[in-house]
Amino acid sequence: MLSSGGVGGYGVQAPRILIVDDDPNLLVLLADQLRADGFETATARDGVDALRRLQASWPDLLIIDMMMPRMDGLSLAREIKSRADLPIIVLSAIDAGDSKADLLEEVAEDYVTKPYHYPELRARINRVLRRLGDKVPRQSLVLGPDLTLDLHRREASVSGTPVALTPTESRLLYALAANLGQTVTTETLLARGWAETEDADPSYVWVTMRRLRQKVEREPNRPLHLQTVRGVGYRLVPATGGHEAPTAATNAATERD
Amino acid sequence: MRPPSVTDGEPANPRDRPEDVPLGMGFRTRLTLALIFAAVLPMTVFGLLVLAIGVVGGEGPAADANLARILLFGLAIAVLLAVFVSYLLAADLTRPLRAIAAAVDRVSAGDLSTPIRVGGDDELARLAESHNRLAADLERRNRELGRILAAIEGASPRDGVDFLAGKAGLDAQTAFGLLDAEVILVDPAEIPTDEAVPGEARPLRAELRVGHDALGVLLGRLPATRTWERADQDLFELFASEIAVAIRNAQLFGQVEAQNAQLLELDAAKDDFLRGVSHNLQTPLTSIRAYAEQLDIDRPDKRLDIIGEQSERLSRMVRQLLTVTRLESGALHPRSDVVALATRVRKAWEALGVADVPFTLEDRAVGWLAVADADQLDQVLWAMLDNAVKHGGRTAVSVQIEPDESSSRLRMTVADQGTGVATADRPRLFGRFVRGAERSPDDGSGLGLYVSRELCRAMGGELFLDPPAPGGGASFSIHLPAESPEEG
Repeated sequence: MLSSGGVGGYGVQAPRILIVDDDPNLLVLLADQLRADGFETATARDGVDALRRLQASWPDLLIIDMMMPRMDGLSLAREIKSRADLPIIVLSAIDAGDSKADLLEEVAEDYVTKPYHYPELRARINRVLRRLGDKVPRQSLVLGPDLTLDLHRREASVSGTPVALTPTESRLLYALAANLGQTVTTETLLARGWAETEDADPSYVWVTMRRLRQKVEREPNRPLHLQTVRGVGYRLVPATGGHEAPTAATNAATERD
Repeated sequence: MRPPSVTDGEPANPRDRPEDVPLGMGFRTRLTLALIFAAVLPMTVFGLLVLAIGVVGGEGPAADANLARILLFGLAIAVLLAVFVSYLLAADLTRPLRAIAAAVDRVSAGDLSTPIRVGGDDELARLAESHNRLAADLERRNRELGRILAAIEGASPRDGVDFLAGKAGLDAQTAFGLLDAEVILVDPAEIPTDEAVPGEARPLRAELRVGHDALGVLLGRLPATRTWERADQDLFELFASEIAVAIRNAQLFGQVEAQNAQLLELDAAKDDFLRGVSHNLQTPLTSIRAYAEQLDIDRPDKRLDIIGEQSERLSRMVRQLLTVTRLESGALHPRSDVVALATRVRKAWEALGVADVPFTLEDRAVGWLAVADADQLDQVLWAMLDNAVKHGGRTAVSVQIEPDESSSRLRMTVADQGTGVATADRPRLFGRFVRGAERSPDDGSGLGLYVSRELCRAMGGELFLDPPAPGGGASFSIHLPAESPEEG
C-alpha cells in the first residue's frame, strides 16, 4: 500500500506521475505539460516497460493508455492493482458509451477520453491525488433494513431492490458514508462530485441530493437516511431503532481508521 | 334332474388350458349341488310325506281332510326347507364374490398392496388370482411410470443432447427392469427391428418422434422370464416420446446458445474494431491538437487555432460515427448526471472556434439543471451549433433556454438567420447521411442531426425541427429532463 507519506508529501515534494502510452509524441507532450505544472514525470512505452519501472520505484499516480502493444491498459491496470493500490487514470479513446467503460471504472480511479483537454485532465489528476486513502471499501454498508450501499459496485439496495448509482452519486454517497452521522458541507460535496467541472455551483449538489433521495429513500419527502442540514450541507444517518444501526456505525468507524 | 346348461353350457375361458380345470369340488360342482338341493329336496320331502300318508292314513272324508292338511303342511315345510337351504348355499357361494368385489373397490381406490387370500382351487379362486395379478401389474406399471416421470422431470435442455440420450437409456433400463437399453439418435428406418426368439431376451423398440420428425430410436432387451404386454409397450413408447421432446428441446437450446455465443463474439469483434479505429484516429489527433495549443501559448498564431479547431472537429466526427454504431446496436447507455445547460452551450460554442459569427445566449432558466449525460450532451450541442453556423451561412446564431415547470423539462432552441430548411428537405432531415439539397458537399458527415436526435431520445428528451419562422432561418429545439434548483 502506498503510505500516507505520498499524500503528505503533496505540496512539499512534487507528486510523481508515470505515463504509459505507446505514442511517443503524446508521451513527450503530456510529460511537458505535467512538468510545467510542477509534477515529476516518468514515461514508459508499454505495460511491460511500466512494470519494470515499478520495480525500481512507485509513482504517486499512473496515467495509462488503453490500447498498447504487448499488454493492454486494462491488463496493466489490473496487474498493478494486484501488487499495490496505486491510483490510476486511464487515458483512452474509449468514451462512456463503450462496453469496456464500466470495466475501466472498476479497475481505475478515473478515465479521460482522448483527445484530452489538458485542464480537465489536470483537474482529475488533482482530485485523484487528493482522494488518496479514501478508496471505496469493497464491502456493503448496511444503513438500515431498507438501505444498503454497495459503493464499489456503484449500487444501492433499497428494500432489497438494486438501484444503479451514477459515478457522481456514488462519490457523494461515499463522502457522506465516510463521515456517517456527521454533517458534510455542500462545498466539500461539490469538490468531491465536480472537481473537474468549471463553474459548478451548489445547485449541482442540491439537485443531485434530491435525485439521490428519490433513488434510495422510501419516502423522499421524509428522508430517513439522507438528511439536509439547512444552510450547511448534508448528512447520512443509519436508521434509528434498528439492530443494524450500531453495526453500520461501527463499520464506518473502522473503515475510517 | 341336472340342468344341462350348468354342466356343458358355460363358455370356457380361452386362456384356460384343459389341465387347469380343477379336479376338486369346484364352483361349478357346488352350484350344481345347490340347484339340486334347492329343487330336489322339497320334492323329496313332499313325496315322502305323500308316501307316508298313503301308508298310515285310512279311508273316509275325515282322512281326506286330514290328508289335505298334512299335504299342505308338508308343502309348507318343503318350501321353508328349500328357502333355508338355498339361503345357506347362496351365502356360501357369494362370500368369496363379496370379498373379490371389496378388493376390486380397494384397487380402484388406489390400494394395490392388499391381495385377496386365495383359498381352494375353484373358479372364484382363479378370479381372485387374476385380480391379484392385475393389481400387481398395475402397481408395477405405476412404479415404472413414477420412475419415468422422475427421469423426464430431471432432464434439462442445458444438459446437452448426448447426455440426455445416455441418461434416457439408463433410465429406461432401471424403470422397466431391462437387461440393457440405449437411445440411438439416427433415423429409425436405419435400425432394423430384431425378431423375438422364444427363450431369449426379448428385443424392445420405440421410436423417438416429435411431430413428424423422427429423432432416433429407443432400444432395449427384456429378460426372457418377463412378460411384456400391450400396456408395457404403451408405457415404453410414452417414455420414448417424452425423451424425444426433451432431446429436441436440448437441440434447439444448443442452437440458440451457439448463435448467442456467435453473436456475442461478433459484437465483441465489432466493438474491438471500433475501439481500434477510434484509438488509431484519436491518438494522432490528440497530439496534433495538443501541440497546436502548446505552440499557440508560446507564440500565438491564428493558423494554430485553425489546426486545433479542425483537429477537434475531426475527432468529434470520428466520435459521431462510433456513436451511430453504438446507438444502432443498442449498446449506448447514457448516464443521468446534472448538467448546467447554459454553461455547456457556451463551452460548445467556444469549441467551434467561430468568433466572427454573432452569438447570443438567453438563459431564462437560471439555476435549472438538465439531467443528462454530459459527454453525450456535448455531442448534441456541438452538432446543433455547428449545424446552425454552417447552414445559416454564418449568420447570427441565437440560443434560448427556458424551463417548463409543469413537465420539469428544459427547452433549448437554436436558431440561425439563414435561408431555413427547404420544404422538400423537412421530412427527411433526420435520416442518416442526409444533407440538404442545396448544400455544398463538404458540410460534414450528414449524421449530426440523426445522432443528436437519437442521443436526446436516449437521455429521455427529444429534438425537433421548429416550424418555419416568418423571419426565415432554421430553428431546432431540444427538450431534456431537468430539475429546478430549490433546496430540499
